[in-house]
Amino acid sequence: MDQMNVIINSGTSIIQAFYEKKGSTLKDEYRQATAVAFMDKEDMNKLGISNRDKIRVSTKWGSVVVYADISHDGPHKGMIFMPKGPWTNIVISPETYCSNIPTFKGIEATIEKTDEEVQLVADLMRSTYKKYVSDTENLESIGQKPVYKRLDNDA
Amino acid sequence: MEYILRNGVVYDPTNKVNGECMDILIKNGKIVEDVSSKAEVIDVKGKLVMPGGVDSHSHIAGPKLSVGRLYRPEDIRAGIKPKSENAVEGFEAGFSLPTCPTTGYRYTRMGYTTVTEAAVPPLEAKHTHEEINSIPNLDIPTLTLFGNNWFMLKYVKDNNLDDLTVFISKWLKLAKGYGIKIVNPCGSEAWGWGKNVTGLDDPEEHWNVTGREVIRSLCMVNEKLGLPHSIHVHTNDLGNPGNYETTLETYDCVKDIKKNKHVDRDQVIHMTHQQFHAYKGTSWRDVTSGAPELIDYINKSKHMTFDVGQLTFDETTTMTADAPNEFDLYKLTGLKWANKDIEVETASGLIPEIYSKRAPVSAFQWAIGLEFFMGIDDPWKMVLTTDSPNAGPFIRYPKIISWLMSNSKLMDMATNEVHPWALNRTSLGCYDKEYTWYDIAIITRGAPAKILGLTDRGHLGVGAKADISVYDINVDEFDPTRKSNAKVVEDKLLSSKLTIKDGEILHKDGSITKLVNSSHVWSNVKGLEEKEDALIKRIKPEFNKYYTIKYENYGVPDHYIEPETRIDVDCEGL
Amino acid sequence: MHEPITDYDKVVRNCSCSYCGNNCDDITYLIKDNNIVGVRHACRLGASKIINDNDQRLLNPMVRNSEGILEETSWDYALELTAQLLHDSIRPVLYGWGETSVEAIKKGCQIAQATGSVIDNQSTICHGATIQAFQKVGHPVTTLGEVKNRADVIIYIGTNPMDDHPRHLTRYTTFPEGFFRPNGRDDRTLITIDPKYTNTAKVSDEWIQFNPNEDYSLINALRVILSGGELNTNEIAGVDKDTLYKLVETMKNTENGVIFFGLGLTQTLTKQRSVDILIQLVEDLNRYSKWSMLPMRGFFNVNGFNIAMTSETGYPYGVDFARGYPRYMIGETTTIDLLNRREPDFFLAVAADPGIQFPGYSLKHLASIPTVQIDTHWGPYTELSDIVLPSTRVGVETAGTGYRMDSIPIYMKKVIDKPENCHSDEWILTQLYNRIINLKEAG
Repeated sequence: MDQMNVIINSGTSIIQAFYEKKGSTLKDEYRQATAVAFMDKEDMNKLGISNRDKIRVSTKWGSVVVYADISHDGPHKGMIFMPKGPWTNIVISPETYCSNIPTFKGIEATIEKTDEEVQLVADLMRSTYKKYVSDTENLESIGQKPVYKRLDNDA
Repeated sequence: MEYILRNGVVYDPTNKVNGECMDILIKNGKIVEDVSSKAEVIDVKGKLVMPGGVDSHSHIAGPKLSVGRLYRPEDIRAGIKPKSENAVEGFEAGFSLPTCPTTGYRYTRMGYTTVTEAAVPPLEAKHTHEEINSIPNLDIPTLTLFGNNWFMLKYVKDNNLDDLTVFISKWLKLAKGYGIKIVNPCGSEAWGWGKNVTGLDDPEEHWNVTGREVIRSLCMVNEKLGLPHSIHVHTNDLGNPGNYETTLETYDCVKDIKKNKHVDRDQVIHMTHQQFHAYKGTSWRDVTSGAPELIDYINKSKHMTFDVGQLTFDETTTMTADAPNEFDLYKLTGLKWANKDIEVETASGLIPEIYSKRAPVSAFQWAIGLEFFMGIDDPWKMVLTTDSPNAGPFIRYPKIISWLMSNSKLMDMATNEVHPWALNRTSLGCYDKEYTWYDIAIITRGAPAKILGLTDRGHLGVGAKADISVYDINVDEFDPTRKSNAKVVEDKLLSSKLTIKDGEILHKDGSITKLVNSSHVWSNVKGLEEKEDALIKRIKPEFNKYYTIKYENYGVPDHYIEPETRIDVDCEGL
Repeated sequence: MHEPITDYDKVVRNCSCSYCGNNCDDITYLIKDNNIVGVRHACRLGASKIINDNDQRLLNPMVRNSEGILEETSWDYALELTAQLLHDSIRPVLYGWGETSVEAIKKGCQIAQATGSVIDNQSTICHGATIQAFQKVGHPVTTLGEVKNRADVIIYIGTNPMDDHPRHLTRYTTFPEGFFRPNGRDDRTLITIDPKYTNTAKVSDEWIQFNPNEDYSLINALRVILSGGELNTNEIAGVDKDTLYKLVETMKNTENGVIFFGLGLTQTLTKQRSVDILIQLVEDLNRYSKWSMLPMRGFFNVNGFNIAMTSETGYPYGVDFARGYPRYMIGETTTIDLLNRREPDFFLAVAADPGIQFPGYSLKHLASIPTVQIDTHWGPYTELSDIVLPSTRVGVETAGTGYRMDSIPIYMKKVIDKPENCHSDEWILTQLYNRIINLKEAG
């Protein structure tokens, strides 16, 4: 099987929250904890993927590459759990149905195995929202540290 | 600033001034005998002058209000008024649940300067004081809830009044409270198990303590401490047909307790919102008024005072620490029910309430409130309240006054506007009394100040706080007894000509002129500090076991009570 | 595991955690050279926030330069620019507030009034739906100590506190001994109702698994059974009939029960309706025994915002001052709806990271309007911010009021000094307010 239809549930995971609260969102540790789809074991077998393989998750709203990981809360066949964060945001539904709250859970998605990279936060924000760049092709990674100009940076 | 309020018609019952034309002199926030030549003269010739209004029982700040506003946006919408151009004050929002600023604006316009917040759970006292900081222009004493507190129940059970006295003394400091409030004693504790108690002598199952024991013990403690106010009691069985007997027993249960000899007030117990406690009968089918019996007792007694809790015909919100009662109301009306139990201390509940002139029970309750106003011989025992917002929002006080001053207005309503139960089930039709301005000044100024033990206000004697209200009513020319003038009375009292607090003009000719921070009025008992420390040392382990916040984070820090009016109370010891 | 920390020079007790809606106030900070080097009693999430990562700490105000790079600047310049942008905008949104003090929130409310802004908080993406249900049906809640002292049955539905509010069970509800539950855990029945076998389910006496998005049917079935009705199917929401009957029987015979619920209920397709019916279930149950409920609020002061807003404006969140007085219309004056309609022309986030919290579709609008961040750490939202104002941490570097999930207020202490060029949210907002008033007066 190359592709699989699943339902996304998103929410807080303790590891994602740990790095988020610690304030290390630019770093690889946050990416490793947050850019993840926790999957049912049988679903993983069907797709032929193992832990930390990369998958592309696509919905009506967008598409993003994350790591696949085995869920310890299973069994939940046909459902993937994605910790809340910049990666998951790309694929969840903004629909509020006039109730102010977007739809974070129960979103139909397709997943497939991929070799593409899981982006770090700064790169992901740049390539997704393009606020300060027009062309996102062939840009170097911003990396894991804040990039800014210091006031006393004369050199 | 110095002022001379010139030639007003002054009603100051405390000083037995009954409609005299005189000048009031103001200097440094006080009423004085002399002012300098720099004093500004304000001509109020012929106008109605009274001390600033004093409310002895209102719900204006704290968790109940927050829950109410949060779950009743429809009530917020009902009171929206955009900010007027060039106004000092901001927008208004909320009808029965006004926002904090709105509460201050409305009381200021009515000429009120002191308002008591009637129910504060110590655990959430910070919240109450934080809200008070958003209410402008008032002095606000807060009454601290003790009637279902576990430490209190334990001391009462053990008949350990010494520790109870020290506990109360300390807890008022922690909550920055002014006095002792008791609500449905033992009943709100029973609500922890979905139960209630019936009557004064029905013990709560676990503690095996009765409402009578709680009220008596706290009354004795109150007098031992010599707190400025007496215990303030919402007794058991509120709102139930047949409850007047419990009410009578409550009156009677403390009559032997000696008043502290240093206090100014006359009573040892203040009974609140008596309208809700005066029902005779076995059900809402056969209910009749129990007010005549209660009035008779009050007229013959010297040890008690009360406030009315007059019903007005409004869609309002009820809120009380009497949580089981709110659930009963929910079962009765099916309206959206709010409840909040508060660990170790109390419970509370809310429910919207629609008082309709066409509804038999509303008309009946309306008439009972009025029976109290009509039947009480000595108005010094009584305060005009609506238990705001329970029986109606406080902005209805002027309307109530218009009813009290015109018997033709009142009887017209009772006969032609409201459900026949108003006259059929009560004795209201027997009265033809009409209140004078002097009487009104007693039940809205003199009496509440005296009952609260706030001797520096509620009157215009030299040395009193310069809290004064002037209304645009030419006393000698205006006849408030005329039915057609009822609306004028209401409108004039809703918007003062002048509201002066601490010698500053806060409202003038229909406009708020100044916003000042409200003062947190609290009782600081002196003389028991060492015993308090020892008690805390003893009970801290229990405290930290049964509360979910640490004792160290429990009290209200000074951060929340700026500015404060600290009333030092010298306690002579245990 | 971590080594015990021995190298510290000061111990401060009874500090308040600034992570989740538990607002644990029994935390001990271990301090060396004005740095927190260790914490005691906190859960790992709380500890991670208190001992934060300093690599991403925002230390100086920054403004984007012409190349789109954030460049450090003076407070004066950054504040004046922010005030000017806000003053010039016609549909500003002031969002966030869940992780700052009530004192700061009140200042934010003044700014909203002065500028005709919408002011909104994380309720808009979390328990706003719960608040709507409270407004529609009722509000039967309790404090956590009531649960500790009395509860014999505790139900968690659509929430996983073992991961999200780690000390909820251990400090407040299930494990501690209470006055009427002297044996703590042994005196209570713990039930988790969740589609997933969560860590909370794992420590429960019973786990009831139901189908995602079918919470309404599940709770409705419980109400039917409670009212004496018959279920004419063997399974509801993936739960077999017998389990449901047994659950109702347990609930009816409880002495004091409580239902904690989370975003599992409000973020599914039935949204506020799932909470509507849960409230109705609690109301029904109170005819048999004593039941309460409580939403598991996320940020340490998300509830404080709701409370402070009701004090000041009457409404709990999504308050729109565009017309000069407060308006509150769910779906109209709420942040996500505003962003989805591409309406705002200015966006300020205070103590919140929309980059973490908002759907990408909503975030896209932030790429085309001026954006300002007031926060302590560089995060995803910084990558979308034109101006960055570095603030301080409430309960660590700044004192202030927070409200627990059960609305108990806590005065959070200042324990260590702030980084030199950071300022508290309250200070920053006061400066902004003053500058906006000056701009208004200047016309």
